[in-house]
Order: sequence, then structure tokens, then C-alpha cells
Amino acid sequence: MPRRRRSRGPTAATPASATPASAAPVMAAPAMATPASAAPVMAAPVMAAPSPELPVPAELVPLADLAPAITEISVSRRRFLGFGLAVVGGLTGAAGLSRFFPVFEETSSAPPPIVPAYDPVGKAWTFVVDSAACIGCGLCVVACKDENAVTEDGEFARTWVERHAVTADGATYVDSPEGGMEGFPSTSTAPGAEGKTVDSAYFEPRLCMQCEESPCTSVCPVGATYRTADGIILVDPRRCIGCGYCVVACPYGARYLTPAAEQSPNDTPGIADKCTWCYHRISRGSLPACVEVCPVGARKFGDAADPESEIATLVRERHPKPLDPEFGTRPRVLYLGPSVEEA
Amino acid sequence: MILTGRSVILAGRPIPLEPRAAATALGREIASMPRGLRLWFAVLLGTIALAVPAALLALPPGWEVLGTTPTFEWGLLIVGYVFFAITTSGLCLASSLGTVFGIERFRPLEKRHAILALLCLTTAFGIIALDLHYPIRMVFGAVLIPSPSSPMWWMGVFYGIYLCVLVVEVWSMFTNHPRIHQVTCTMAACTAIVAPATLGAVFGVLVARPFWHGPFTAVLMVASAFLSGTALLGVVFYGVHRLRLAGAERAASLAIPSIRLLLSLGLVVVATLVGRQVVAGLTSELPSFREATELLVAGPLAWQFWGLRVILGLAIPILLVALPATRTPVGTFAASLLAIAGVFVDRMTFVAAGQIAPTSVAGNVAAPFAVYSPSLVEIAIILGAVAFVALVYSLAERYLDLNESDAHAAVTLPVPSLERIRALLPARRRPAGTGVAGGQAVQDPGAGVR
Repeated sequence: MPRRRRSRGPTAATPASATPASAAPVMAAPAMATPASAAPVMAAPVMAAPSPELPVPAELVPLADLAPAITEISVSRRRFLGFGLAVVGGLTGAAGLSRFFPVFEETSSAPPPIVPAYDPVGKAWTFVVDSAACIGCGLCVVACKDENAVTEDGEFARTWVERHAVTADGATYVDSPEGGMEGFPSTSTAPGAEGKTVDSAYFEPRLCMQCEESPCTSVCPVGATYRTADGIILVDPRRCIGCGYCVVACPYGARYLTPAAEQSPNDTPGIADKCTWCYHRISRGSLPACVEVCPVGARKFGDAADPESEIATLVRERHPKPLDPEFGTRPRVLYLGPSVEEA
Repeated sequence: MILTGRSVILAGRPIPLEPRAAATALGREIASMPRGLRLWFAVLLGTIALAVPAALLALPPGWEVLGTTPTFEWGLLIVGYVFFAITTSGLCLASSLGTVFGIERFRPLEKRHAILALLCLTTAFGIIALDLHYPIRMVFGAVLIPSPSSPMWWMGVFYGIYLCVLVVEVWSMFTNHPRIHQVTCTMAACTAIVAPATLGAVFGVLVARPFWHGPFTAVLMVASAFLSGTALLGVVFYGVHRLRLAGAERAASLAIPSIRLLLSLGLVVVATLVGRQVVAGLTSELPSFREATELLVAGPLAWQFWGLRVILGLAIPILLVALPATRTPVGTFAASLLAIAGVFVDRMTFVAAGQIAPTSVAGNVAAPFAVYSPSLVEIAIILGAVAFVALVYSLAERYLDLNESDAHAAVTLPVPSLERIRALLPARRRPAGTGVAGGQAVQDPGAGVR
């Protein structure tokens, strides 16, 4: 069975001697078709080798021959290939040029430390939050916003404080007015419980858990969220595309997309942002801002790799636990107090 | 398309390139259109005109013109992207039955599906570009820095390949390259399964969102893709039949019954999967999964789920395709329209239910559930996207020959029947009383080659 492209001139399978006059020009090159040449032609160009004495049956004509418009819209193969080559060449060239003028930095090796003298290897940074000690003053939230240029808008926070309150009717509500930045009123602000007097409550400071099995790093389609050698998860503001995938992937709600505000972290609006445990401070030997300002020591931070450190002792002796371990992300923020006692 | 010095010839129509002559020709063309068509184009262009400023407002990163919040980060634009992307896949899945597997009755779907698929995919990319704050970085980042651990990266890869394949498929179809067309159709059919499955995985891998998490999300996405693609073909082919466009006879005799068959299949499969999802959610031991499902079936999403999704989007279309009285082109059209609207609502409720469970994000406590209302910008963009697809497809329908492709004619050659050959014999050799016009075999010209 002959199989040919139909646009390549008369086919040998078409018996010229037996073909009616109307069938003769059937194989006119489509690229050269004009309205005149596009007149319907009534023969099948490629048939199952009909017997020479039989005329080519008109009703077997492919529709394209009856619809000349199809054949008129022809871009030559050369032009098509040329276009394809130009696209491929352009992409290859862009990839080559990016070596000299890097749009993105290499991800094959860990990024260099922010502080050159800092050696991240061997660190086991650990954060412990004591929800029994927290008084909900909100100083940590203010300090974080100030330290990291987070917008004043309470809708966006790297760290915040939640109040788990039991009201007079015995119901439990969670609220966090302005992220706890200005403390908490004596009445609940939770939806559906506004104005209800709070009988008892505990405060739960929240921040990025710096998970060991972090979903935010694995789902990022462009590698903008990465982990440093000492386990801190950071966002490269030059690479983030603002898709929000990491925001919905974080089980602890630690991420948000920065608004175009007067001040924003990294001066780049629309990208993912989250707590970095003040990486620029800890790599210089300081404490995170929130830990430093906490008046009651509800936030503890340190290198658990040092067995003599306060944090290592705390972990060893009081056995803090992670929030919501069922997500399986192995958070490195551990909690003491009612936050984990209830669970 | 032929480019000459001062004009371009498209489908046999010379279109002048000189501005004044082009304007005159355009005016003449508009005047020659039927009034209804002029009105149709005016409505579509008006909708697009509303969407353009909305799109410009959505472009600058961080302007907060969308209704999304940190607790509800994915909104109507993501819904629109998912809807158009899966519809693209569904179009190829439905038409692959004829193109790839050679089932004759599905052959009439070939050319129109390719145009629609290309349009839907470019629209999907346009919507996601408006949702992303830095879309250019996405293009370069995905190419230069592969992130194979991310389903979103794979989704970009597969839909990127899909776009290339569709471009080649359409090109080969209009330039009559049957072999290239056959290969690209096969590739498109394979990608049409992989791409929506990966899109399902984008949601399915998220442990943080129990309503989305799990392998069934990918299955549901592929099934929804099949349903929406088939339903869109149902809407389009009813238009072909009703307006007597090219191939109207085959639309009524072959395409619409074929679409009804596929639609029935898609509706039943999707209904089963939606039922499974609800039962699994209500009986789940994971509190956030159970809460999300309860909010879907008995909470703020209930009217969308029961009223729009289940009754209008599934139950009524199933009845329309099942009852003998409504097994008509109009019945299939109504079922298709409802089914495709149902898939859109399904994507809305799906995206919403994944984020609605009580949570706290970046200092925002969403209790008893997260709230989201799409902004006017988002609504205008989605309406504009629909209008864009409709406008370009209408133009294609008017100015291109979208009659059934014969690209496969050289690949699947029929053997002419004896009756046909006899009918074409010279009159003196034919038995008395038979003729070309009187033979049953010649009443459907070209049927043998399709």
C-alpha cells in the first residue's frame, strides 16, 4: 500500500492514462495555490492502487481536496524548521549567556554563608517555645517586624502569637488580633465569639518550624526555597516566582506572599516570605530578635549540638514536643506547655 | 498563508497589509457579516475590553488586587488555570479515540479539537501568568534550574511539551502532513493523560491539605479533564450542527452521538469519584479532612456543591444523556453545557475545600473556616479568558476550514467497496436500473476515507 504525503506532486499510484481530465491537477503544490488553482479537484491522490481500467471513484476524494482552504494555509516545511531552530537556538543561547550573566545562581552547591567567618557545618540550631510561660505581650512580633522590615499590616507576620481562650460559656476559641502585635484584649476577637469575656487562656507563639522534611523546599518549582548547611530554610528573593505553592504546602501556615508595602523584606513584593530564625543574626552569634526581646524567656534558642548549651539541656530534661507531628515534617521548633499537653 | 508584498492570503482571501486598505477591507468584512454574528463578536470584544485593564492591574506583583489572602492563597485564577488546562487535555483524550485508536465514529472531532485545545492551553498559560507574580522567572527558572522534586515543575514541563506538540499538530493538520500529524496526535494523547495527572499531583502531594492529598486527586483530575473536554466538544458541535457550519451533516450523524457516548462515560466516572471523595472525607480520621468535607457538603460551600455541582453539573446531564426523549442534539448540547459548567464549579469547590478548613497562616486565624470572595479583577479576567477562547474559535470557524481533517486518509486507506466501483463503471457496463445517484453506497461522499 503506497503511503505518501499528498502534497508532493502526482503520485505514481494515480494512473494518468485512466484519470479523467478533472483529476489531473490534483497534486498541485498547495503552497502555490491561488484561488484559481484551488478549484475543487475530484480525484483521490492516494488510493489503494485501483485497477488501471477503473476510474478513480470521486466519492473517495479526501475532504482537503474538496476544501481548498486547507491547502492554501501552508507554511513551508523549511520555514517551519527554521522557526523551530531559531527557538531552540535562542533558548540554547540564553542558557549559554546565563553562564556569563547569571540570571540565577547555581543551586548545585550550598549558597555561601551570609557572614564569611560563620561555619554552618555541625550546627544543630533548635528553637523551644514555652507556651506556659508566654504572656501574650506581643513584643516578639513587634521586634520581628522591626528587625526584618515586615510590613506593619497585621495580616502579614513572620511570627505571631495565638491565644487559645476558653470563654464564659465553656467554648474554646483561637484568635490573634493583628498577629498579637499589640497584645490581647480581655474579650475574644475570634469570629463568632467577638466580645465574649475570656475566662482562661494560654498563648502560643508561632513561627517557621524549619522542618527537616520541609514540604516548602520540595514543592518549589524553581528552587527558590532552599536549605542552608545548618538546616535553616531560606527564600531567594531573586528567584521566587510568587506562585504561592509553598504557602499552601506549609502545614504550619508560616508563609505568606509579601504585599507591595512601604517596607517589605528583601524589598521585593509578591514573593514568598517567612521567618528565618533571624539567620543574619544567628550567623553572627546573636540571638533571633524575638528571643532577645521576650521578657519572660518563653522563647529559647541555641545550638543543640553543644551538649552543655542551655537549649541542649532543656531538650534533654524537659522533652519538648513538636506541634502537629502527624504531618510528618519533623519540625525543629519544639513546644512546652499546654500547646502540646492538650494534643 | 501566503505573504505577498502588500497582502497576505489566508484561506483564499487576500487581506491587505496597508493600514488604510486593511481598515476598508475590515469594514467591508464586518458589513458582510450576519447581524447575529456581529452582535456575538461585539459581546466577546466588549468582555475582552473589560478584562484587559483587569489583567493590567493583576500584573504588578504585590498589588493585592486579587481576593486571595494568606489563609486562602489560591483563588479564582488558579481555578481558571486548572479548568482550561484540564479541558485541553480532555479535548485530546476525547479526540484521540478517532485519531490515535482509529475508531471511525470519533473521527469528526479531529480538527476542531486541535484548535480548541491550542486555544484553551494558551488561555490557561495566560491566566497562570497573571496569577504568578514573576512569570518570566518561571519560564527561565524552570528551564535553567530544574526542580524535579516539585510536581509544579513537572506540570510545567508536560504542559510546555503539550503546547509544542499541539502547535505541530495544528500545523501538520493545516499543511497536510499526515504522518507528522499522526505522530503528534499520539504524543498529544499521551501527554493528555500525563499532564492532568501531574496537575492533580500538584494538589495531591500536599500533606498540609488533607482534602487534596492522595492519589485519587490525580485520577479525579484526569476524569474531569475527559469530561470537560468532551463537554466543550458537545457545545461546539451543537453550534456546528445548528448553524450549518462546515461538516454539519457529520456533526449531527456522527459527532454528536459520539460525544453523547463519551459524555455519559465521563459523567458516570466523575460522579463516582466525587462520591468516593465525599464518603472518604466524611469517614476520615483526619480532623482537617473531615472538617473540610463537612464544610463542603453542609457548610458555606454546600449550595455550590449540591446545587451547582451535583444537581446541575452531574445529575441533570446524566438524565439528559440517558433519557430517550432527550437523546437529541439539543439534549446533548444542554448536557454538555451543564457538564462543563459543573466541572468549573467542581474545580472551584475543590480548590476552596482544600483551603477552607480552620487554620492559621502568618498571623491570620481562619475560624470557623477560611473565607474567600473573588475580586472583580479575578472575575473579569476569567470572563475575558472565556471570551478570548470563544472569539478566536469563532474567527477560526469563520475563516479557516475546520471541516474534518483528511490528514489520516493516507494512513488508513479504505478499500473501495464493490458497489462503489460498480457504481462508477461506465453506464454501458452497469446493469439496468442502477446508477450513481441511486446507489446507497454513494450517498455519503467521502465516508469511506474517513
